[in-house]
Amino acid sequence: MTARALFGVLQARLYAQRRVVLSTCAGALVAGLIAPASLAGPVLFCSLLGIVLALSQSPGVHPHLDRCEQSAPLFGRELARGKALVPCIAAALTVLVYMTGQLLGGAPIPPLTLLIALGSTVAGTLVALSATMRRGVLRALYVLLAAATSLVAFALVEVGRSVPGALAFCAVVAFLALRQYGETLARYDPI
Amino acid sequence: MPLLRMRDATFATETATVGPVSLQLEPGERLTLQCATAEEAAVVALLAAGIAKASGGSVLIDDYDPRVQPVHCKRVTALVPHEPFAIDESEFARYIAYRAALWNVEPARAFAHADLIRGRLRGMHEAFAYPLIGALIGLPRLIILDRPQAVYAPQIRTAVGDIALLSTHTEPAAASAFA
Repeated sequence: MTARALFGVLQARLYAQRRVVLSTCAGALVAGLIAPASLAGPVLFCSLLGIVLALSQSPGVHPHLDRCEQSAPLFGRELARGKALVPCIAAALTVLVYMTGQLLGGAPIPPLTLLIALGSTVAGTLVALSATMRRGVLRALYVLLAAATSLVAFALVEVGRSVPGALAFCAVVAFLALRQYGETLARYDPI
Repeated sequence: MPLLRMRDATFATETATVGPVSLQLEPGERLTLQCATAEEAAVVALLAAGIAKASGGSVLIDDYDPRVQPVHCKRVTALVPHEPFAIDESEFARYIAYRAALWNVEPARAFAHADLIRGRLRGMHEAFAYPLIGALIGLPRLIILDRPQAVYAPQIRTAVGDIALLSTHTEPAAASAFA
């Protein structure tokens, strides 16, 4: 996939989803301003926003983009990378906005909190992307799995006291989720 | 060598099976396909474009199987869906830039080509003209029209020119307008 195609997908999707992105960022700012300083806030709340951003990319929400991407000369894994980048960037933005809210509220932000929040949010978002290609119970299960990803990352830090463990867990889940999404897109029949 | 060859191609959905469809289309040729239902017309168009994969029989695009070489097949074909596009004039340039990026076409060339085709499609509603313009800037060798509007047949034929054309229809009058 050329960088142009990647940025083309990114630009078109971000433009089409601009209202959702702005709404989630506004929500993250408000939550960051009022929430007490803790790891739970950014990890769990921003992961939830990441799931919302991933689901807003479901087939049928922007049909003209779906049709263009389905007929474009791209492999499923290439398209998956382009489409996954969109909610990941938007979700990372919500984390940064949340942290900005915390800073404005006078709370300190340890760099590790930012790192773990980014890692768990991106991993949860990538898992939630697989829910967009499914319906019914399977869709709900993938959403639950995405939420569980953030919970496990949070537990690894708070209970297991292992920041590298949490980051490694997020990296492995993110890698597997992206592969799974690419394979699903390659097999997907838009009928 | 035929550009599109479908032999007893079927597509099984949850409720019904579409097909079998058999046809052959040579470069530069035009073919209209009369279908019984709108669903059948849409499925046949997706099969011919290499977007949906046949459940049974075979579909070969430029002698390549879309199940094995989907990217090559999608370089050869371009699908114009039946549904009108919900984008307006202000988003046209953005749409052309997006299509050009996906098909790796030089932006300046894509815009010049889009303007040229737009001139040929004068009088056609934007909602129907934009997807056709978007499809043509990728320089396909085969255009597939899913239930195109018969009233715009002259403009569409002019814009498509010598490119092979397959159109699916549910009404005989619409099919004869593109024959």
